[in-house]
Amino acid sequence: MFMATLILIVSLALFFFYIQVTCQRILRRRFDKEYYQVIVSANRLEFLSVRQTLEEFDSSVDYARVRMTLKCDYLALTYLLKNAANFKQRYSRDELLMIFHFRAALFSLLVRHALKLKEKPAILRLTAVLQYFANVVGQRVSQIRFGDLSATDYLMNI
Amino acid sequence: MGRLRGLFTMDGTIIVLQYAVYLLEAGLLAYIFVRRRDSRLLSLSVYLGLLLAVDGISRPIVLYHYGFSSRQYAYFFWLTDVLLTLGAFLLICAFFRRAGKEQPKLWRFVRLLLVFVFVLVAGVSLASLAANYHQVFTQFIVEFQQNLYFTCLVLTTLLYLLMQQLESADDELGLLVCGMGIQFAGPAANFALVHLTNGRGFPSTFYEYLGPLCTLGMLSIWFMAIARVPRPLRVPQPEAPAGELAMVTSRKA
Repeated sequence: MFMATLILIVSLALFFFYIQVTCQRILRRRFDKEYYQVIVSANRLEFLSVRQTLEEFDSSVDYARVRMTLKCDYLALTYLLKNAANFKQRYSRDELLMIFHFRAALFSLLVRHALKLKEKPAILRLTAVLQYFANVVGQRVSQIRFGDLSATDYLMNI
Repeated sequence: MGRLRGLFTMDGTIIVLQYAVYLLEAGLLAYIFVRRRDSRLLSLSVYLGLLLAVDGISRPIVLYHYGFSSRQYAYFFWLTDVLLTLGAFLLICAFFRRAGKEQPKLWRFVRLLLVFVFVLVAGVSLASLAANYHQVFTQFIVEFQQNLYFTCLVLTTLLYLLMQQLESADDELGLLVCGMGIQFAGPAANFALVHLTNGRGFPSTFYEYLGPLCTLGMLSIWFMAIARVPRPLRVPQPEAPAGELAMVTSRKA
């Protein structure tokens, strides 16, 4: 019984650990340019300013506002992931995994808030996922040319 | 009636999961043959071939001939499961070789250790299976599989730690190892739960879902790792000509 309990605990922990590591490895993907900045400015996304505020000022978090901001950015970016310059009009496998990762991180933020734990790490993780999404969208859009339209003009017309 | 419908849905879900696994097994193998003829993926291709031959071809044939509740199918399923796990063990050894390729001294030591562990695991597995062959469908098979999966999980984790220690830059191998970890960790936890509950309740039926789900997860991560090299995207056809879009933009501005 002791052995089975030990195996159960260790295996469960390792199961979640490997899922987490897979997500982190996807997030570490290097892009040849910082594509996310175009997407952020074209769509007035706010996750960068949230991250900057947290990193530079280390101020306390307005939980409700930050959560709403990140959720709105997430909705905008997942829409763009599916529809902007995406011929198949569906998410790829790694995008689906990252969407799952984002939701898990959002849930972790909720739990941290309820238990009055530090929310900063969860928020930074959420912004990292959003930056990844923005990079993917930016890279896709940059590979396409529509006459004289720039990436920003294209995005504004979707 | 509700129960019947529930049973039907359950079977349907398992069938859909199984077909998704077959599709991914065949798709990944085909992808490697067509797009990535790389010697580093040889061991992975052999394992995928074994997985496809056992899981995608032999098992459905035995199932078709003997039926789901037959003793023959049950024996075939569990014995081939042991074979696949031992095959996965060898694949982890191949991953160890790939990780330690630039450290010949370390690899020589690890190789000896892996051969010893493999002989030990295979020997103990086959001896205990032979001794309990006539009472395979008792608590024995649960405990046996739990230990075998857990041994592979520990080995996978040791490989992961070794890669961290060597600061390996092989991202593809990292993802392949993560896939293996998920494939072993899920079933190991489930078998331990079945063992703890003495085969009663949901954990024993849960494996029917968890097994294919974990295999699906592993294959998806492998696909992602192998097909990651960015390729140019096809350009979608805009609804309006570029000129019109430009006019709309300027009007908005």
